[in-house]
Amino acid sequence: MKTLGRIILAVFTTTWIATAAFAAGPSYRIEVAGLACPFCAYGIEKELNAIGGVERVETNIGDGTVIVTMKDGAALDEATAKQAVKDAGFTLNGFTQAAQ
Amino acid sequence: MGMIKRRTMLKILGGMVSGVSVLAAAGWIAFVPSAKEPSYEFVKAWGGKGVRPGQFSDPTGIAIADGEVFVADSRNGRIQVFDLDGNFKRQFGRPGKEPGELGRPMNLTVRDGELYVPEYFNDRIQVFGLDGTLRRIIGGPGNGPGQFSAPGGLAVGKNGELYVADFYGQRVQELKPDGVFVRQWGTTGQTSHAVGSFHYPTDVTLDRTGSIYMADGYGNRIQVFDPDGTFLHKWGGPLARGIYGPFNGWFTTVTSIAFGSEGNLFAADFYNNRVQKFAPDGTFLTDFGGKGTGPGKFDHAIAVAVAADGSVFVADFLNNRIQKWRPN
Repeated sequence: MKTLGRIILAVFTTTWIATAAFAAGPSYRIEVAGLACPFCAYGIEKELNAIGGVERVETNIGDGTVIVTMKDGAALDEATAKQAVKDAGFTLNGFTQAAQ
Repeated sequence: MGMIKRRTMLKILGGMVSGVSVLAAAGWIAFVPSAKEPSYEFVKAWGGKGVRPGQFSDPTGIAIADGEVFVADSRNGRIQVFDLDGNFKRQFGRPGKEPGELGRPMNLTVRDGELYVPEYFNDRIQVFGLDGTLRRIIGGPGNGPGQFSAPGGLAVGKNGELYVADFYGQRVQELKPDGVFVRQWGTTGQTSHAVGSFHYPTDVTLDRTGSIYMADGYGNRIQVFDPDGTFLHKWGGPLARGIYGPFNGWFTTVTSIAFGSEGNLFAADFYNNRVQKFAPDGTFLTDFGGKGTGPGKFDHAIAVAVAADGSVFVADFLNNRIQKWRPN
């Protein structure tokens, strides 16, 4: 009985994780020069988070990159990303869509 | 003829080299002061990256009151409290937008038993009791009077008035204790290196007389105004016009300022991985730190606070730790 319970729990957890993973939309890698200071990195995060359809923003202050993950069905275009980075006081150095 | 030409050329070249050398020496003497005091001695460090008590994810602010060290653990959305030896005591806050939650807390200030927390993401200042009880909220997002666009740090005057560095607002606002706008320095949203203007201000502090010291972050300088708001002086690099560099008295992004009990000013010099100490008139006294991950090294010094006994506490940003130093 205990084993059956564990199997059901494992199947449920796996399904839930897979659903969550597939529910996320595309991810984009944004490169920005001079991102070491949190005053700037947080500014870029804040601007990108304000864009409609953004699910998650992860900044890597060490290497000056930002990964933007969109909600399922949403997309981010380079012009919008460029404007957000500009509003934060920086210049967009690179914009690529990450492989799904 | 060829020999004479060559000699003339050599003379001109020699003259130019001498001229440049003299100019460089004069510039060095004029703009790079020597230390007037011994450096500080590293005492200890604590922290490490993580989410457990005593660990940090982007420590960005620090303040000291009643023998306790308050740290803005920014990406973890909390305030952690330690004793002066780095022993964890308590924490409060979690990431979010609701009252009591924190959206990237920055430079901290304690005044009269209250902790002032500017929030970069939520564009407000939350005021807590030192036990973590939320007392009130000041401001909200925007560029209007009394609103904020990424507040980075603040000072509190003797009557509770606030002086807030509004990072993207490019201004320092003075507010009444209840948040009502009084006046501002700088033009909203406009960067400039002119006197009284800013290039991303990060922090504010007051001296004993009420003079207002403003850290002009990417302006790489500190500007000082008297209590009436009249400009007094500024420093940071040649003519304090925004030129950055690693030399004594220069900055490469000044992110936090704090007075010590003896009346001297400490400044976190972020990209130079050090803390600089100045007399109130801007005279360079000494510095400490240097780039690295070992004891007494910083991977970007972002915030500074001074205890009553003269110990200096520094938030070591990318090393995710707090360092304690003492005078030599």
